[in-house]
Amino acid sequence: MLPNRSRLSVLVFLLPPLLLYGVAVLFPILQSLFLSFFSWNGISDMEFVGFANYVHMLTGDGVFWRSFFNALGYLAICLVLQLGGALFVASLLTSLRRGRELVKTLYLLPAVISTVAIAFLFVRIYSIDPVGLLNQVLGWIGLGSLERPWLSDVNTVLAAVSAPEGWRFTGLYMLIIYAALLAVPQELEEAARLDGANRWQLFTKIRFPHIRPVWITTTIMATTYGLRGFDIPYLMTNGGPGQSSELLTTYMYKTAFTSTDFGYASTISVFIVVECLVAVGFILLMLKRKADA
Amino acid sequence: MKKLIRTAAVAAAAALALSACGGGGAGSASNVNPTGDIKPRQISWLLSRPADGAVINIMKKIADEYAQTHPGFSLNLITTPDRPSYIQKYETLAAANKLPELFDTDATPFAQQLAKQGKMVDAEKLLKDLGVYDTYRTNALNYQRFDDGSLYMIPFQFELEYFWYNKALFQQAGVSVPKSLDDIPAMCTALRKAGITPLALDGQDQWPLERYVSYQPFRDAGPDFVQKLKKGDAKFSDATGQKTVNWISQLGGAGCFQDGFSSQGYSDAQNLFTSGKAAMYNIGTWELPSLATDKLNPAVRNDVDYFTLPATPSSATAANEYVATSGIGMAVNSKTFDPLVSDFLKFALAKYPSEYAATGALSPTTNVQTTIPANATPLYKKAIDQAQDLGTKLAMPWDTQLDPTTNSRLQQELVLLAQGNIKPAEFTSTMDSTIAQNAPKFFK
Repeated sequence: MLPNRSRLSVLVFLLPPLLLYGVAVLFPILQSLFLSFFSWNGISDMEFVGFANYVHMLTGDGVFWRSFFNALGYLAICLVLQLGGALFVASLLTSLRRGRELVKTLYLLPAVISTVAIAFLFVRIYSIDPVGLLNQVLGWIGLGSLERPWLSDVNTVLAAVSAPEGWRFTGLYMLIIYAALLAVPQELEEAARLDGANRWQLFTKIRFPHIRPVWITTTIMATTYGLRGFDIPYLMTNGGPGQSSELLTTYMYKTAFTSTDFGYASTISVFIVVECLVAVGFILLMLKRKADA
Repeated sequence: MKKLIRTAAVAAAAALALSACGGGGAGSASNVNPTGDIKPRQISWLLSRPADGAVINIMKKIADEYAQTHPGFSLNLITTPDRPSYIQKYETLAAANKLPELFDTDATPFAQQLAKQGKMVDAEKLLKDLGVYDTYRTNALNYQRFDDGSLYMIPFQFELEYFWYNKALFQQAGVSVPKSLDDIPAMCTALRKAGITPLALDGQDQWPLERYVSYQPFRDAGPDFVQKLKKGDAKFSDATGQKTVNWISQLGGAGCFQDGFSSQGYSDAQNLFTSGKAAMYNIGTWELPSLATDKLNPAVRNDVDYFTLPATPSSATAANEYVATSGIGMAVNSKTFDPLVSDFLKFALAKYPSEYAATGALSPTTNVQTTIPANATPLYKKAIDQAQDLGTKLAMPWDTQLDPTTNSRLQQELVLLAQGNIKPAEFTSTMDSTIAQNAPKFFK
């Protein structure tokens, strides 16, 4: 317990960031909530419509549901690439004796490249005419039958726009998980090894339980970023062809700024906020239950 | 906590109410002759034109000249050439009531709402007051008009859209210039057989494919079809609608567009044509400098020619009627319209046409003659002279006509239809229901 004086000073120091948070985060969310009950195109009179936007979104809008399921697919691919890839690379790194710094830097590099550059880079990689890197490589290794315009094919486009986002942040999560792995006490691992534990057991019984708190944090970070993913899909395909790579975020953006339906766009944004909160709660619940078990 | 939320909600409501009501004070749209002294200051033009293009360069020059006699005056040009980004910027500023003195807009349903609210100066009255109305091409002004015939935007260009084609590739595949739109799918099959990409298409920007959906109705039923369609008075399930839906599906089925067109951009499509890989390319005269001068790849330079939108004797519109646009227009904000803006426009609009025509482009006015550049091929003059023989009915680009939600959905569904991902029947029902749902909000 802090003495009174320092508790006051803590409050004084916390107040400005809290106010900033209120203005920059809470206020817009509440404003969206408020707007979601209106029909408003920016220049018309605001018309109160009650829950009509929500009813339309949940029962009458096929594009919304398509975008929702696309967003889940996008999230799944991003999570596998980011968390799976990060854990895999970080584990390998710990067993690497030389060149760790170089590998770390190389993996982290995509995270510092601008999004627009990444989007353009991957548009070229996936291109078929002129032949891009991916199709060229497929041709070289005898898989020419798989060559296709990856971003124009409705069956591949979602995976194609998810991969760059996953690739981009793998290095960042790798770094966090690697730091956590380094903190696992060596004595425990040695003791386990002496008791005859193999590498898999070492990982599941010693290392992973130790990095669980960090794992929870990274999972929450990756999930919420994934659910809010916008820039790369928007830049690469603008949600197309059709709605094949439309995410909730790109759909919301278009509803607001192309259709100028600010009321309905706010409804979608409220859904995204709720969806992120539910996802975080779900992750916490799942991982906590596992830890308790 | 509950109390906190309630307080915040009330604050949010109050802030919104304030921003919605604040800064209203729209000036009168019809007062084109503001009285008072000319007080030089900086005025801004929010525009969507190429940063180093002719319009911007000329207007900068004219503004500098004006500033010499009006110290303190300057023209701040804020350009966002990428059209979707521009529209977002402009609509957001319109929503916040923060549009500058001059701003670009097409004759969209959104712009019409702005005009109805008195936020734009009546351009017809303004041009008449400035004494330049009669110098404009009728077609250039008509392109800027809203459905009710009112005019709120001033054109700065005039462009005709052609099908550019490569004679050598046509010969190689044994095809000739199509006599009707219905000939094109068969031509594509023949060209594909010869290993040639029939049509270069910028699929990424979406409007180029949307042009194609407008062609059959324009020939079959005339320019009125889209006017009715957008309000739900005509449907894609009508005979005319079905004709265009099936035609797009046939174009896709015959492999008319390059593989993966939907993720290829403006320059990809152009390169495909100028490198001699694609046989046809549908684009406007704004590309004359790259298609009809010595800048064009020497390997194809002498093989390039063009044809206009094919028409048959039974067509509702004549062969000399096709897509002719005067580009995005400039609107004058009525709220900030004062003697200075009026005087500057008078000065600028008088000087602009001759300067613009000197760059080799078609002026929106008829009082000047386009200078053919020294490095032009004979095709340049032919393309420019075509403007003298132009009918009175215009094929309006649909993206400026439909309500924005229907427009984005149409652009998306067209790609699927052309790629063969959906059948014409599915396209028809999706689009008709989209229009039924969204049109009433914009065209009450």
